[in-house]
Amino acid sequence: MNQNTRSFLALTKASLKMYYRNKGAIIFTLLIPVALLSMFGFLSSGRGPRIQVGLTNKASTEMAQQFVAALKGVEAFNIREATETDAAKELGKGDIDLQVIVPENFGKTEDGKPAASTIQTRFNKGRPQSGHMANMVIIQIVTGLDKKLTNAPTVLDVKSEGVAVNNLGYFDFILPGILSMSIMQLGIFGVAFSFVAMKASGALRRIQATPVHPVYFVLAQATVRLLVTLSTAVILLVFGTYFFGFHMMGSYVNFFLVCIIGILIFLGIGFAIAGWARDETQVAPVANLIQLPLLLLSGIFFSRDGFPTWLKTITDYSPLTYVSHALRKIANEGAGLTELPMDMIGMAVWVVLVYIIAVKLFRWE
Amino acid sequence: MPAILEVNNLTKTYPNGVNAVKGISFSVNKGEVFGILGPNGAGKTTTLEMIEGLRPITSGTVLLDGIKTEEQPYLIKQRIGIQLQSSAFFQNLKLTELLKMFADLYGAQIDAAQLLADVGLQDKAGFLVKNLSGGQKQRFSIATTLVNKPVMIFLDEPTTGLDPQARRNLWELIAQIKNRGTTVILTTHYMEEASFLCNRVAIMDDGKIVALDTPDQLIKQLLAKGFVPHTEVPPATLEDVFIDLTGKTLRD
Repeated sequence: MNQNTRSFLALTKASLKMYYRNKGAIIFTLLIPVALLSMFGFLSSGRGPRIQVGLTNKASTEMAQQFVAALKGVEAFNIREATETDAAKELGKGDIDLQVIVPENFGKTEDGKPAASTIQTRFNKGRPQSGHMANMVIIQIVTGLDKKLTNAPTVLDVKSEGVAVNNLGYFDFILPGILSMSIMQLGIFGVAFSFVAMKASGALRRIQATPVHPVYFVLAQATVRLLVTLSTAVILLVFGTYFFGFHMMGSYVNFFLVCIIGILIFLGIGFAIAGWARDETQVAPVANLIQLPLLLLSGIFFSRDGFPTWLKTITDYSPLTYVSHALRKIANEGAGLTELPMDMIGMAVWVVLVYIIAVKLFRWE
Repeated sequence: MPAILEVNNLTKTYPNGVNAVKGISFSVNKGEVFGILGPNGAGKTTTLEMIEGLRPITSGTVLLDGIKTEEQPYLIKQRIGIQLQSSAFFQNLKLTELLKMFADLYGAQIDAAQLLADVGLQDKAGFLVKNLSGGQKQRFSIATTLVNKPVMIFLDEPTTGLDPQARRNLWELIAQIKNRGTTVILTTHYMEEASFLCNRVAIMDDGKIVALDTPDQLIKQLLAKGFVPHTEVPPATLEDVFIDLTGKTLRD
């Protein structure tokens, strides 16, 4: 084995041991993302992002039961049965997004013919998107039932592949966001503090007293962070899929590839800070100054659609926006990497930029 | 005895204009313990670091074991062992793991248990450095300088901050290393340490060597100048009292 390889492996092994023996780091990088994910998972399984439907079924026909069952089968709906007046009140308070009233004659036959009947829906004007979407779903169900009744041949049809649309919820939106956050924190905080501590204590200098170029130590540290990032991603995906029904629409390879590019960007930022700082006291303010705005303004917990235009334009270029957007497009919409040219270019530019800055700022002692 | 290290007109000027080392020359013989004495700020550490290849040389030459430090700093580091003044190591690694890591960095094979036994730490193999006492830390630090079987080791103030027992214990360790044929160069503030360990000493002040000889010769030269101690030297010192009362046994 080549001596440089041997040195690199020895330093990687040492870095890995230091990492997993550091309880604080394990809590910070694995437990907190999982806890956050669970929190959002539980929140979104309740009221949260599901569309709240207040249902009043006045009919007792089999058709009406079929309709109710179909409604309940829509994952994005949270069905609450209530009387018409109660549901109307709840709609007025904004507790529900949509009120559905099934009339008494729904599915009844008059003189051997199906009776004409109208399902009434009322939606919250304040949340028109949910209302419209819910309406579409209901219209689809009713049309299906209608066809059955009239035995009308299906002449015109829409073949739709948007299976996901009905099922995707806030949780599917939040998981890539939390993963992006962990990638950023692992990159910036995970490396900046420990590296600067080794620099300040003289442990790094001791490595420089051996025949190994210290850049191998930087590579070893980066390798360990990369491994930890990938483990975090696997844990979040497994956990999210198993407990909260996370939907991965795209390719896992692409998803992990974006994770790797992401950690490269944020490790670069971490090493730039660690390389520049003399001790831990200089790291905290700078790391927070970079991390907090990114955390709040990159649309990882909520969409940036509500931002004023100028702020949206600025935050379009945030490295965390690129990473979380790309992860989301892959996970939620099944996008391939070639369908994300802006994200890919943006991340590439950031990788180059942060390493130029890191090399310029780096001081070994 | 042939010289293993030849330092010629070595100078260090820092970018801020401080002239830390002002053209010093000396040589170290193979197998000897060579001491560099001097007050804080005299340039001892800077001198060592330039010789070790850890700090760029402003001017002058260093020839160590036939190699010019400036031209091949990595080759030099392969052949020497360096103990830094602040002996910090990676946290959360056990002594054996650290020794093996250092051995890998030199491409060396070691018997970690034997190496720890050589410095009296055979019982501490599974300990973390932070759980060692001051004297144990220094002995471990010396063990890490030995993983590559160096021709010469550099010890920068190895006994600073240790209690008298730990200090004496470290002297014995350094004497053993010397007896095995390794050349030692060390810096110290303690004259007693220098006279106990060093074959020759260089006294540095303000970036220059002001005297270089064996401890005995330096004392003779001083007396020849007509020096009279301003107090009568008692036949024993307070440290002798301390050791007599508390014993030589290590407390860590």
